[in-house]
Amino acid sequence: MRGAKSAKWVAGAIVVALAATACGGGGSEGKGGGARQVVMELGEPQNGLIPSNTYESEGSEVMNALFTGLVKYDEKNEAQLDLASSIETKDSKVWTIKLKDGYTFHNGEPVTAQSFADAWNYGANQANTQETNPLYNKIDGYADLNPGEGKKPATDKMKGLKVVDEKTLEVTLTAPFSAFKTMLGFNAFFPLPKAFFKDPKGFETAPIGNGMLKMDGKFVRNQQIKTVKYDKHPEAKQLKIAGVTFKIYSSQDTAYRDLLGGRVDIMDTIPTSAMTTASKDLGDRYIQGTDSGVGYIGFPLKYNKAYAKPEIRKAISQAIDRKAITEKIFVNTRTPADDFINPLVPGYRKGACGPACDYDPAAAKKAFDAAGGLPGNKMELGYNADGGHKEWITAVAGQLEKNLGVTVTVKPFEQFQAILNDLGDKKYSGAFRLAWSMDYPHAENYLRPIFSEDAIEHGSNYSGYVNPQVEKLLDQGDTATTEDAAVKAYQQADDILLKEMPYVPVYFYKLNAGLSKNLKPGVRIDNMTQIDWTTVNPA
Amino acid sequence: MGRYVIRRLLQAIPVLLGATILLYCLVFLLPGDPIQALAGEKKADPNIAAILREQYHLNDPLYQRYWYYLSGVLTGDFGTDFTGREVSEIMSETFPVTLRLAGIAFLVEAVVGVVAGVFAALGRGKFLDNLVLLSTLLLVSIPVFVLGNVLQLVLGVQWALVPISYDAEDITTLILPGVVLGSVSLAYIARLTRTSMIETMRSDYVRTATAKGLSRPRVIVRHGLRNALIPIVTYLGVDLGALMGGAIITERIFNIPGIGGTLYQAVYLRQGTTVVSIVTVLVLVYIAANLLVDLLYAVLDPRIRYA
Repeated sequence: MRGAKSAKWVAGAIVVALAATACGGGGSEGKGGGARQVVMELGEPQNGLIPSNTYESEGSEVMNALFTGLVKYDEKNEAQLDLASSIETKDSKVWTIKLKDGYTFHNGEPVTAQSFADAWNYGANQANTQETNPLYNKIDGYADLNPGEGKKPATDKMKGLKVVDEKTLEVTLTAPFSAFKTMLGFNAFFPLPKAFFKDPKGFETAPIGNGMLKMDGKFVRNQQIKTVKYDKHPEAKQLKIAGVTFKIYSSQDTAYRDLLGGRVDIMDTIPTSAMTTASKDLGDRYIQGTDSGVGYIGFPLKYNKAYAKPEIRKAISQAIDRKAITEKIFVNTRTPADDFINPLVPGYRKGACGPACDYDPAAAKKAFDAAGGLPGNKMELGYNADGGHKEWITAVAGQLEKNLGVTVTVKPFEQFQAILNDLGDKKYSGAFRLAWSMDYPHAENYLRPIFSEDAIEHGSNYSGYVNPQVEKLLDQGDTATTEDAAVKAYQQADDILLKEMPYVPVYFYKLNAGLSKNLKPGVRIDNMTQIDWTTVNPA
Repeated sequence: MGRYVIRRLLQAIPVLLGATILLYCLVFLLPGDPIQALAGEKKADPNIAAILREQYHLNDPLYQRYWYYLSGVLTGDFGTDFTGREVSEIMSETFPVTLRLAGIAFLVEAVVGVVAGVFAALGRGKFLDNLVLLSTLLLVSIPVFVLGNVLQLVLGVQWALVPISYDAEDITTLILPGVVLGSVSLAYIARLTRTSMIETMRSDYVRTATAKGLSRPRVIVRHGLRNALIPIVTYLGVDLGALMGGAIITERIFNIPGIGGTLYQAVYLRQGTTVVSIVTVLVLVYIAANLLVDLLYAVLDPRIRYA
């Protein structure tokens, strides 16, 4: 029995250990009276909560609640002054930014020009490996902070940032860039308090912002980020809620069920499974709007001569029935694309693409054959299998087979980066799907990062398309001193691209959001899919 | 017995080593670039990506990286993932949650399963027996995600009886997911108990015990069930590991921030160190559970000795 006894002991100890870990649950918390604490569904932010290290939608949502930037985007999706009292330039190269009074960080520290300069210098420094690092590359001195791998930057300040006085920041760019003011609303350009630089690691879970909402407790990974109203914010009176709790969900279906049950108040995406019932489920609390995304099909122009002729690419475009795809496959959660520039930014022109984006199988076939077709009459169409693209890519393949008479092979890649790697290694020579959503609402952001020569190395020009004419017009847009002149130049570049079709625009994404019974309808969601918290009203 | 335990623990070392090497190779040989994965569909800035690759030793050969990792683990440092988060921190946040969930599932399947099995065995061929057989057949044939979603929709959304998603401040939100997670094993255990119990109740010592005039409950529990438990304990031991690793679907449905979701995310984002570390701990759980099972045999049957 000796053996049995000690075995009992071991078993007992393990049971106790198991029980001990099971008892670690935290205490409960009472619900405050008065204004409502609104709950919003969120996916887990990828990085810690630092503005310059946030380059994805979930983290951005939180950043925009916690911080107030220099500009914000209005109903017409134009940049309006927010924390800045004026942003002026004569030549689109030297910009003078003046700040409003009365703004403080949540720890009481006043927001000054230095707060912005410090934050941008930190974000642009390669030593800090911030995700939004490339967004600062327009500022003079960016190159000094990014000497390259294995080299240490000689300085930690960009020479283009000059703090004139407490409320004035002078920014010099390397070259004129007319869209700079619009860029400033993106979270990479938010200010940071001095406390950040003392403990960047601690900041990741307990950020100190300057916005209408401040952190209440710490960011609990995979669970929640709780914020409450910051009363000292000059515009905090506009808030009719006590705060926002970002509840983190791994499954949108579960979140949607909680939305119906009133445990979640706002979702800024409706899961595909609920798409057909959402308008019935939610009534006037179902929000549909534009979204900044564009879906394309691209071609490896850099090394596959088969797609070299624009006529071939145009014929492929014409052979795609965009309406059928957006209506049947995406259940109207997308709209057919007719421009490279998204409808929500100034500069979009309805039907800019012209007949090239209209479904015309007969014309497509004729043009395709006249241009000599594809070698071997074969085409490959690659997609990443992790993002729900199989259905529409298969549909496009079917349409191309039927309308052009080519044999289309659909090729799944496990992740989008696998396509990029194979394109980089010249191992893959087929067409491929891709998409873009903007960093800041400007026509420029739909052209330069995708179609310019520089974007082959530093952006999303995966096809390797280069056209000196486009480069010239993009530069012309950048250097323009008025917004109108800039947009006009970008549109001219857009016209060339629509004729050449290095990518085929297929659809624009749509915003599908929902509110619970606890809120009144009429919540505004801006073009960056950020909730305007001043429009949230408890029912 | 002490020697037996030590020998078993020493045996665990090559198992762990082998498992981590295999996992490390598998994860890092997967196509895809973890640094690009962080940037999503946007292209990672080449300069920053190069610096990150250097920082995380991604340019070094695999064996060297494995050595860095292993020597770290030996000193209690599981390293960081590619966003700079400590893997030990990730594990200390997620493991307790899954352990609680698995604990509830384990409790449900052990208690309900054994009780149902015993009653079915005692009333063999009668209504209760048929009910147990039929309901367990049903449970085994329904996939976990169907059961989870249906229960969530019916109990949570339509009848609004239970909360749909996990709430860290309310541990009762784990009960329904625990039941769902334990349901399949519960069915197996009920059937296993039934068969095993029928077997032992027929044996000589049970007849002897009854003939001695012992009370019926005492015969059933001390003489019947105790001996019938040996195969069941074996199953439960293996199942504890399976419950923790297999919680991935249940955790997703009920939004439980445990290792299942973390593991899924880590595989998706090619966060190799996170994947290897979590799975290594799971291997440890398996090893510990199996050792525990073997030791429990002696409690159930004193004739079993360890040398």
